[in-house]
Amino acid sequence: MIRLALPAGDLREPLGDLLREAGLPVDDYAEGSRSYIARGSQENGIQIRVFREADIPIQIAMGNYDVGICNLSWVEDLMQRYPSDAVVAVRDLGLHQCSLYVAGTGNEGDLLLDWSSWGDLRIVSEFPDLAEAFARHLRLPSYRVFPVWGAAESYPPEDADLALILAEDEDAVRKQGLMPVHRLLECSAWLVANRESMAKKDLSAVLGPLLAPNGRGNGRPSLSLPTARVMGRAPSGKRSTSRREDVLRLALPDGHQQKHTVAALDAAGLRISGYDQETTISRPQAEMPNLEIKVIRPQDMPQQVALGHFDLAVTGRDWLLDHRYRFPSSPVAEAVDLDVGRYSIAGVVSEGLPAQSLAEAISLWQREGKNTVRIASEYVNIADHWARSYHLSRYKVIPITGASEGFVPEDAEMLVEGTETGATLAANRLKIVERLFESTTCLIAHQGPVSDRRRRLMTEVIGMFKRSAGAGT
Amino acid sequence: MADGDEPLRCRGMRDLLPGEMAGYRQVEETFARICGDWGYSEIRTPTIEFLHLFTAAGTLSPQMLERTYSFLDWDGWSGERVVLRPDATIPAARLYVENLFPGQLARFFYTQNVFRFSTGEESREDWQCGVELIGETALAGDVELILLGRAVLERLGLTGLKVGLSHAGLVRTVLSTAGLDTAAQVTAYDRILDSDLTVLGEIEAKLPDLKAPLHLLFDMQGGKASYLANLRAAFLSGVPGMAGPLDDLMKVAATLDSVSCDYQVQTTLVRSFEYYTGPVFEFRANGRRVGGGGRYDDLIGLVGGESVPASGFALSARELASQLRPRPHAGDGEESWVVRPVGDSPEVLAASFAAVAHLHASGTRASIGSLAGESTVGRWELTVDQRRGRLTYRLLDKLTSRQTSHAALEEALNAAESAPND
Repeated sequence: MIRLALPAGDLREPLGDLLREAGLPVDDYAEGSRSYIARGSQENGIQIRVFREADIPIQIAMGNYDVGICNLSWVEDLMQRYPSDAVVAVRDLGLHQCSLYVAGTGNEGDLLLDWSSWGDLRIVSEFPDLAEAFARHLRLPSYRVFPVWGAAESYPPEDADLALILAEDEDAVRKQGLMPVHRLLECSAWLVANRESMAKKDLSAVLGPLLAPNGRGNGRPSLSLPTARVMGRAPSGKRSTSRREDVLRLALPDGHQQKHTVAALDAAGLRISGYDQETTISRPQAEMPNLEIKVIRPQDMPQQVALGHFDLAVTGRDWLLDHRYRFPSSPVAEAVDLDVGRYSIAGVVSEGLPAQSLAEAISLWQREGKNTVRIASEYVNIADHWARSYHLSRYKVIPITGASEGFVPEDAEMLVEGTETGATLAANRLKIVERLFESTTCLIAHQGPVSDRRRRLMTEVIGMFKRSAGAGT
Repeated sequence: MADGDEPLRCRGMRDLLPGEMAGYRQVEETFARICGDWGYSEIRTPTIEFLHLFTAAGTLSPQMLERTYSFLDWDGWSGERVVLRPDATIPAARLYVENLFPGQLARFFYTQNVFRFSTGEESREDWQCGVELIGETALAGDVELILLGRAVLERLGLTGLKVGLSHAGLVRTVLSTAGLDTAAQVTAYDRILDSDLTVLGEIEAKLPDLKAPLHLLFDMQGGKASYLANLRAAFLSGVPGMAGPLDDLMKVAATLDSVSCDYQVQTTLVRSFEYYTGPVFEFRANGRRVGGGGRYDDLIGLVGGESVPASGFALSARELASQLRPRPHAGDGEESWVVRPVGDSPEVLAASFAAVAHLHASGTRASIGSLAGESTVGRWELTVDQRRGRLTYRLLDKLTSRQTSHAALEEALNAAESAPND
C-alpha cells in the first residue's frame, strides 16, 4: 500500500485536475469533502489522506506517508530545523508558483551589506526556521523570530522589522506595502517522498504518472541564504520600539472568530470601518480617537499582547491558555469573557476505541502494548500540559496546523481538538472522551505598566466590552 | 511507529559507567592539579545561556549555530532564545566581563560539558577541560598554555605527544591580500582544508607580487623555526602583512625550542580560523587530536566588554580518558575490607557499621557486603555474627585463606595488622 498525503486548501482544485489528467483521480478531493479521508484509490493500492499543507513534510519525514504534495517552502522550513535528509524533493509540479521573500518597510538601508546599526531585529514569519537560518547566515548579532500562523505581512513596521512572506513576485510584495530585501526561495507545489520509501518501496503507481514528461514545472530546489558581509561586532544595544504613549492598540481576529467579534464590537458600541461580516482589511479604522487597530490571527495574539505590541486583543480562551501553559509568567490575561463563539476543547479518539473516558483509553493503550501515545493537536502546549498532568509515560505531541481529523487512528492515538457541534468528528468516525475546558471569545489585555493616558483609554474600552457582555447574559 | 522497543536513553547521549568514570575522574583530577600548580583557579558557568551571547560573538559559524540546542525558556514569551552552552570559552568570557575589572589578569580553568547536535549515534554532549588566560600576557601567555597543556598530557602518561603550531593571521592575511571578503575567505579556507588545492591557483592569480607558490605555505607539515624563516623569505614581498604573524610565531617557536618542547608548524591547523587572532596550537597523542586552542584577542570585546587580550585551550576529557592505561578498579586495593553482617539484628548491624566507620577513620577502604555470595574485591573479609547474645568477628584473609575468630573488633584489626604479606 502506497500512502499519499495531499494538501487541503487552495491547491485542491488545480491539483485535483492535475491528478485526474495524470490518471490518478481522487474522488471528492477537488470538491473539498468534509471528510478528510479520501476514498476511491484504494483499489490501486494507494491510500490517500488530506492534511494542511504545512503538516505534510513532517508526515513524510516521519515515514507515516511515502509520498506527498505540498509547497516546497514548507519542506525547506522543516529541513532547516531538522537537517535530516528524510524528505526528498522529487519533482516540481508547477502549481502555485511563487517566491519566499524577506521583506521590510524600506527603512532597513542595505541590511544585507551592513546590519551593524541594527540592535535587536524582529522577524515575523509562518516559516520560523527559515527565518532563523536567514538571521544566522547573515550573522545578525541579536534577533528574535516570531512564528505566526498567518498575516505576517501586516506586522512591519510597528510589530516587526522584517517579514518572510510568499508572493508571486517583487511587485506583489510591494503591493502589500513592503519592500523586498532578499529572495530566499523560488517555490511551488512539489512532489516529495520519504527517502527510505523511495529506496525500498515500489512507489511507481504514484511516481510513474506524476513524473511523466508533460507540461509540469521544471524548478530545482534553490534555497538562497545570504552571506554575512560584516561580522564580529556586538550590537549597539536594543532598539527601542517607539510607540505613541497616547495610542491604544487593539488586535482583532480574522477567520471564523471574525463574525463573533464583529457582533461583540457592535454590542460594545465600538464603530470600526473595514472590519465587518463581509470585509477585512489589515488596518481597520476606529471611530474612537487614539484607538489603532490591526487584524492578525487569533493564535498569535497572546504573544503579541505579552510583548506589548498591542494593549488589547480579541481571541479565543483556547489560544490564551495555550500561551500561558507555555509561558506561565507571561504578562497577558483575560479581561472580559465576551461569551460568544463557544466550543469545547476535548480529547478525541477513534469512534471504534472501546473506551468511554480518557482513563479507560489510556489503560487500553497500555494493555495493547502501545509504548508511545501520539497526540496530534494545534494546541501543542495544552496537549503537552494535559499529557503531563495525566502522567502519560511516553508520549509525543505532533504539532499540526489543522485538518486534524485525518490523523486518528493511523497517525495518532488522540487529538486535542476544538469542537463546536461534533458534526465534523462524527463524519470522521471520531468521538470525545473528555472535555478539557470550554472556550469562548475573550478580550485579553497586557498586564505590564503603561502610561496613565493609555491606561485611561484601556479602562474605557474594557468597560465598553464588559457592559455589553454583561447586558447579553 | 508507536509500538516496539524504543531505547530509553536519548540519541547521542552517553552513560558513563564506573570503569569509564574512573578514567574521567583521573583526567579531571590531574588537569585540576596541574592547573592549580600553574596558578589557575577553577570556575563553573551555567548550562543555559542566552543564544545572543553566541550569535553576537560572531565567532561561531552559522553551521555551528544551527547545531545548538536552543529553545524558549518558560518565561521566553518575548521570543528571546536560550541555549544549552555549545562552547565553554564564550561563557567564560561573559563571566570575566560581568565579574572582573577590565584588563584584570585572570587565569581560569574548568571541566564543563558542551552540547552540540550531531547526526546518528555520535556524541552530542562532550566534556571539555578548558583553560582561559585573560589579560595582557603577550606571547609568554601562549607559551605558558602550550607548556601547561603538555604537562597535563605527560602527567596522564599519554604517549606519542605532538604539539602543532600555527598562526591564524597567516591564512587570513594571504586571503585578504588576495581581495577575498570574509565570506569568500571562509569558503576558500574550507576548500584548502578539504584538500581542494586548485583554490591555491585561483588565489595566486590574485597576488601578482607573489614570488613563491602557495602550496609551500598550505601544504607543508612538520616545519620548525627554520621553516618559518623560509616562509618569511618566500612570501614577505608578495604578502607583506605576513610579517607580524610570522614574527609572533618565530618568537613562540624559539621559546619552545629553548625549553625543549617539541612542536611542528602546520599552517592549516584549525578549522574555524575566524575564531582566533594570533598563535594557535593543537595537542595530539598517539596520532589522535586531544585538544587545541590559541589566541582570541577580540573575544572579550565581542561579548560586550572592553577589549582585553585572551587566549586559551580545551582538552577533550573523553579522548584523554580513552587513552589512559586502565587503573586498578577502585575496590581492588589490596588492603580493602568487606564487612558482612549475618542476619539483620540491630546489634549485628550496629557492630558492622561501627567496624566500617572505624576502618574509614583509619583511612582504609571498607564496604558492607551482603550474604548473597557476590564476588568481592580486596584482601579482608570480616563476618559479624551474634551467637547466644555475644558478637563474634570472623576474619578471612583472602591472600592466605586463613580464617580466625575474634570476640572484639580490636582483636580482628590487630590480627590483620600483624598478618604476613605473602
